[in-house]
Amino acid sequence: MVTGIINDWAHQTNKLERLWLLAKIEFKLRYYENRLGLLWALLKPVMDMAIYYVVFKIVLKVDVPAFASYLFIGLILWNFFVESTSGTIQILQTKKYLYEYSNMNKLEIYISTLLANTIGFGFNLLMFLIFYNLLEPESVGLQFTNLWIPVVFLNLFILSLGISLILSNVFVVARDVTQLWGVFTSILFFMSPIFYKLAMFKEALPSFEYLNPIAGLIINARRVLMEGVNPDFNLLLFDFFYGIFFLVIGFILLNKLGSKAAEKI
Amino acid sequence: MKTEYAIQAKNISKTFHITEDAHNTVKHRLFNLFKPSKAKKVLALKPMDFEVKKGECIGLIGSNGCGKSTLTRILSGVYPTDTGKININGTTMLMNLGVGMSHELTARENIYVASSVLGLKIKQVDELFDEIVDFAELREFIDTKIKYFSSGMKARLAFSIAVNAGADIMFLDEIFAVGDMKFQEKAVRVFEMSWIKGKTVILVSHSMDIIQKYCNRTAYLKNGELVYYGDTEHALNLYKQDNQIVVEESLVL
Repeated sequence: MVTGIINDWAHQTNKLERLWLLAKIEFKLRYYENRLGLLWALLKPVMDMAIYYVVFKIVLKVDVPAFASYLFIGLILWNFFVESTSGTIQILQTKKYLYEYSNMNKLEIYISTLLANTIGFGFNLLMFLIFYNLLEPESVGLQFTNLWIPVVFLNLFILSLGISLILSNVFVVARDVTQLWGVFTSILFFMSPIFYKLAMFKEALPSFEYLNPIAGLIINARRVLMEGVNPDFNLLLFDFFYGIFFLVIGFILLNKLGSKAAEKI
Repeated sequence: MKTEYAIQAKNISKTFHITEDAHNTVKHRLFNLFKPSKAKKVLALKPMDFEVKKGECIGLIGSNGCGKSTLTRILSGVYPTDTGKININGTTMLMNLGVGMSHELTARENIYVASSVLGLKIKQVDELFDEIVDFAELREFIDTKIKYFSSGMKARLAFSIAVNAGADIMFLDEIFAVGDMKFQEKAVRVFEMSWIKGKTVILVSHSMDIIQKYCNRTAYLKNGELVYYGDTEHALNLYKQDNQIVVEESLVL
């Protein structure tokens, strides 16, 4: 069943081209529609970061070294996750025009949308690297361990794709999944070490980084980008397991519920 | 010689569950856990086999509500079938008034996206682009979002993409009703020139003349049942016979 989807997907030669085309248009739609254009994509994490910086550094006096960068990397990973999950719950509705007249594989719709988010993530990561290496006074500079970031990101991509598939296919039969997931993400946001000091987080919620895949991903991203050490391989393995687990469930739901999207939505 | 099939369907059927109170939310499902849902079953398609060879032009006739559209949707892979198995070789396009387009995109973007979905490579679309635009007569609005288009312009664009790009297997649902007379003539010409030869076409129409003119084989559907599938002449006769009886009955009443 799952292999059926993948076989079918790889069968046609213009599919990669199509994915890229759809991703480019999706990205353009999102950022070029408003006045600020691409600037908005870059501005948003900076503004988020400024808000949290004021609250946690200046008001609450959190003592994390290089706190601005600490926040920055946590936020861009988190934003990718939210954009790719909350942002795609209604994808089968908004992109209906792509599959209601032809036998196009629905998986392509998901991958292209996540690719568009990946482009945004790429810009944000570039901004982070510039900020961290040129402006951050407590920076440790560029390290070889930075090369691990694609692996961490691949993990994030798989996890987001899996959850996106689950949510949007449940949406076909239960429309209020949007609200439920909204509540759940705000819980998850506070259960992830985005703005807490890691030691505090670990003390309050022992082993929680193994339960919350986002926490693990953020911890590993900081290790490879800011601390110049290898990722925590146990944690990475755990998170890949989570990602693949959600992806498999997502595929099953796509087959069971998503195939009926044309008649139900 | 082995014949190549474009579509092979074995024992397909479709039942729609129509509920008055749609359980569309988690909340609704929780509150009505023990209340049996009053789903009405509508058997839209009774079990049938259906196959289409590559390059054939198949006609599909039947009175309103007999399951023609449902059958085309299942054969094109848009709806899943409830029973049986279906094999589709190639991209399909379900066309009643054109292809699927997004209102948020410009005409240019829609041309690229829709053609790509139909299986064309970007290079091929580049080559076809001018042809599609000129055929639709929309040269000066090419970078306008199609939500600002009139319905006629939208229909022309969608039709033009479908005509020029074309999928491997085309399902045409009453397509000869788009645009003004001049545009229709153009459409018919393209249809005859490029589709009848080379593409697999399933033609849904109420017009006997069109079916008779183009189709090698014709399927006649009645109340979700495949009554006859084969020789066009014979299918049309059956259809006419059935309809005559209805007319006579209504006259008696």
